[in-house]
Amino acid sequence: MKKLLLALGLAICTAGGVCAADIQNAETLYREGKFAAALSEYEQLLAAYPNDPHLYYNIGNCYFKMGSTGLAAANYYRAFRLDPRDGDIRHNLSLTLKNSGERFVPAGMPEVLHKAFFWLRADELKGLLFAALWLFCTFGSVWLVKRRLGRTAVAALAVLAVLGVWYAWRSKIEKAPLAVVAAPVAELRSGPGSNFPASASVAQGHLLLLQDSKDDWYDVVVKSEGLQGWIQAQALEKI
Amino acid sequence: MLKRVFLLLCLLFPLAAHGALDLNGITMTASVNKTSLTTEDELTLTVTVDGAAGDFMPQLPSLPAFNVYARSTAKQINNFHAVSTFEYIMLPRFPGKAVIGPITLEYGNKTYKTDPITVTVYRAGSAPQTTSSAKTASGTSAAASAPRKAAPAQAPADMPPLERDLYNLAARNGDKDYFMVAAVSNKNPYVNQTVTLGVRFYYSRPFVDNAPYTDPTISNLFMESVSTSEGRQTIDGKTYGYIERRYAVSGVTAGQAQAGAASVKYVPAGSVRLSVFDRMFAAVSQEAQTVKSNTVTLNVRSTPANGRPKSFYGAVGSGYSISASLDRDEVEAGEAVNLTVNVNGPGNLKPTSDLKLPSLPGFKVYDVASSAGTVPNNGELKSYKIFKTVIVPVSSGTYTVPALSWSYFDPAAKAYRTIRTKPLEIKVTPSTKADTGFDFGAQTDLGSGFRQLGQDIRYLKSDLARDDVTFLAKLANLNIVSYLFAALLLAAGVFALLDKQTLAGRRTLARARAQLKNAWTEEAVADALSAYIHVRYGVHTASLPLRDISAALKKRGCPADLIKRFETLWQRLDAARFAPVDLQGQGTEELARQTAELMKDMDKGGRA
Repeated sequence: MKKLLLALGLAICTAGGVCAADIQNAETLYREGKFAAALSEYEQLLAAYPNDPHLYYNIGNCYFKMGSTGLAAANYYRAFRLDPRDGDIRHNLSLTLKNSGERFVPAGMPEVLHKAFFWLRADELKGLLFAALWLFCTFGSVWLVKRRLGRTAVAALAVLAVLGVWYAWRSKIEKAPLAVVAAPVAELRSGPGSNFPASASVAQGHLLLLQDSKDDWYDVVVKSEGLQGWIQAQALEKI
Repeated sequence: MLKRVFLLLCLLFPLAAHGALDLNGITMTASVNKTSLTTEDELTLTVTVDGAAGDFMPQLPSLPAFNVYARSTAKQINNFHAVSTFEYIMLPRFPGKAVIGPITLEYGNKTYKTDPITVTVYRAGSAPQTTSSAKTASGTSAAASAPRKAAPAQAPADMPPLERDLYNLAARNGDKDYFMVAAVSNKNPYVNQTVTLGVRFYYSRPFVDNAPYTDPTISNLFMESVSTSEGRQTIDGKTYGYIERRYAVSGVTAGQAQAGAASVKYVPAGSVRLSVFDRMFAAVSQEAQTVKSNTVTLNVRSTPANGRPKSFYGAVGSGYSISASLDRDEVEAGEAVNLTVNVNGPGNLKPTSDLKLPSLPGFKVYDVASSAGTVPNNGELKSYKIFKTVIVPVSSGTYTVPALSWSYFDPAAKAYRTIRTKPLEIKVTPSTKADTGFDFGAQTDLGSGFRQLGQDIRYLKSDLARDDVTFLAKLANLNIVSYLFAALLLAAGVFALLDKQTLAGRRTLARARAQLKNAWTEEAVADALSAYIHVRYGVHTASLPLRDISAALKKRGCPADLIKRFETLWQRLDAARFAPVDLQGQGTEELARQTAELMKDMDKGGRA
C-alpha cells in the first residue's frame, strides 16, 4: 500500500513538473515572438487541463499577437467567464473588443457596477445563493414552528430574492449563444446561402448573438450595430 | 566573288534536282485493293509513278466492266525523288472476270506501261471469298482489303460484346432495306459506371443525305454522345452500309434504366442498289420514312455497402488520378489561399458528390465549389472534376495540408480503391496588415510628466488556475444540502399548517389550566381567563370594559354563544372579585370549572 501511494505521489509530481515545464516552454516561445509555436503548446495544455482560465487567456494573447483579434476575443471571453475578477483578463478582453469597435461595458453602465455585477464567478454566485437559501430555510422553519425570528426570516428572503435575480441575470448573459467574427472579413447575407445577396461585411472581432442556424449558416445579430443577417459558420467562432 | 558563286549555285540547283530525278529512272506500278468483289463493292485502283517530275497523267485503258467515279492525285518529293500517286475509285458493272488493261504514261519521249490486272466480280450476295491480296501490275504482291467471308448467322466469339450484340441484332433484320439496332456493352452496370450504347442505322439501298437522326430517349440514365462512324456488314449475302453512333451512358440510381428508341428519318433514293458514293448522285424519288431502334433495358446495381470508404463519393470505373495544388505556398496569416483538387478518369464524374475536406488545424476552411466536364477521347468518355476551396491560415508557422483521399469502385475487381493527393506544405508568416496589438491611437497626456504612448494587452499567466476553487464555489456543489433545507422548510410549513390551531390552543389551554389549578381565589381564575383570551385571541382584557372585550372577540371571529358565555362568566368573576358575595351559591371551584369549559370550547370552535 505504501509503495502504491509513493508511486502515485511520484506520478503526480512528474505530471506537475511536465506541466510547469510546458508552460515555461510556451512562455519562452511567446517571448521570442514565436506565437504560433506558443499557441500550439498552450492548446496541448488546454487539452490536458480543460476550462483553465489562464490557458484561455494565454491562447488569447497568442492569437492577439498573430493578428487574429476575433479568435483572441473568443478566448478572452472564455477566460472571463471562468474568472471574471481577474484584472488582466478583463483588461485584454476590453482592449480587444475596443479595437474591434465593440464595447465590453454596456453604454451608460458605470464600470464599477459592471465589475460588481461580475465580481463573483458563476459557481461562486451559485454557492452564495445556496447559502442564502439555507439561511432562509432555517429562519423560516423557526418562524413557522416557534413564531420566532420572523423578521430575520423576512430579511433572509429578501437577500435570497436579490441573489436569485442576480444569478438568473448572470445565467441569461452567460448562456446567451455568443460568437465572434473569426475570419478577416465576414459577409452578412439576407439568407442562409451564398446565393443570397450580401448586405454588409463585418470585420473580425465583432460580437455576434446567434439566433438560428440552417446547415452551415447562422442567423446572427451584430451586437454593436444591431444588424441582423446570415453568416457562414466557418467565418465565426462560437464562444 | 562569293556572290557570283552563290548565284551560280542557285541557278544550278533546280537543274541538278531535275537531273537527279531523271537519272534515277521512272517506274510505274498499278495495284487494286481487292481482286475479288461483288457488284456492290468499290474497287480502288492505285497507280504509282516513281521518279517523274512535272505535270503528267497516266492514261487508263478502256474499262467497259467498270464505272470510274472518283479520282485523286498526290505528289511528294523527298530527297530530290518525286513520287506521284493516282487513285481511281471504280464500281464493277457486271459479274464475271474483268481485266484492267495496261495503263500507259508518256513521259520524256518514253512510254511506260503497267501489266494488266484481272479482277473477279461476283453478283451481289454471292461472293464466295475475297482474296487477301491483290496483284500489282508489276507482278509483286501488295496489301489489299481484309478477307470477306460469307455472313455468319452469329458473330464471331472473339468480337467485343457490344459489336457482337449489334452484329447479331442486325443479322435478324436481313429482310429489310433500312433498319436500326441498339445495344450496350454491359447490361448490369453499377450506379455511375459508364457503359457504351451503340446505335446503328443499316441501309442496303441509297438514301438522300441529311437524313435527320434523333437520339434515343433515356430514363434513369445519364448520356453523352461520344463518336460517329461508318461501316459495312453482309447479312444473308446482302451487303449493308451502316452509320453508328456511340454514347457513354451511366445509371443514375439503382434499379431499371432504359435507353429508348433512336430514329432516322430518311428518303430512299431510287430502287437501284448503289454504293455509298452513288448516294451522292442519286435522285430523290420517294417519300420520307422513319426507322427506329430497339429499346435497351439495363439493370443498374448499387455499389456494395461493405467496405465502402468514407472518401467514396460515387465514382465507378478504373484508372482515376487525383492531384492537389495551392495557388501559393507562402502567405501571411489571415490571407486566403486557393486549394484546388483535380480528379481525372474515365466515365462521367458529374453526378459524383463533392469532396469533403478534413478539418485542417490552423486554417479556416470555406465551402468546396466544384465543376465537372467530359471529353470524348478515342470513342470513350473521359471526365474531370475540379474542387476549389479557400483556406485561411489564422496564425503564422509552417503547416501541411494533409493528403486528401478520394475513393472509387473498380467494377472489374469488384473492390473499392483509394487514391490520395500529395501533402502540401504552406509557410505562413505573421500578418503585416494587423499590428501586434499595440494601440498607438491611445496616446494621451496623463499630466505630472507622464504621457501614455499606447495600449497593449497584458502579459501571459505563468501558471494554471485550475486549483483556484473558493469556499463559495465549493458550496455550489452541495445541491443535496439545499434539498435538505428546502425539505426542512416544507416540513415546518406542513407542521404549522396542520397543527397551528390545536397546538396553540393546547399550549394556551395547558398554561391556563395550570394557572387554574393553582387558582384559589376568583381573582386568580379571572387572571387565567384573561391570559387565555390574550394568548388565544390577542385581546388585552386589562383596563377594557366588557363591551369592548366582546367587540374585540367578535372581530376576531369568536362565535356569539361563546362571547355570551364569556360575558356572563366575566361578570360573575367581577362580581366575585369586587363584591365577594355568593350570588348563586357558586364557589371559586365552580367558577374555575366553568372557566376551564369555556376555554375548551373556545379552543375547539373559536376562530382567531
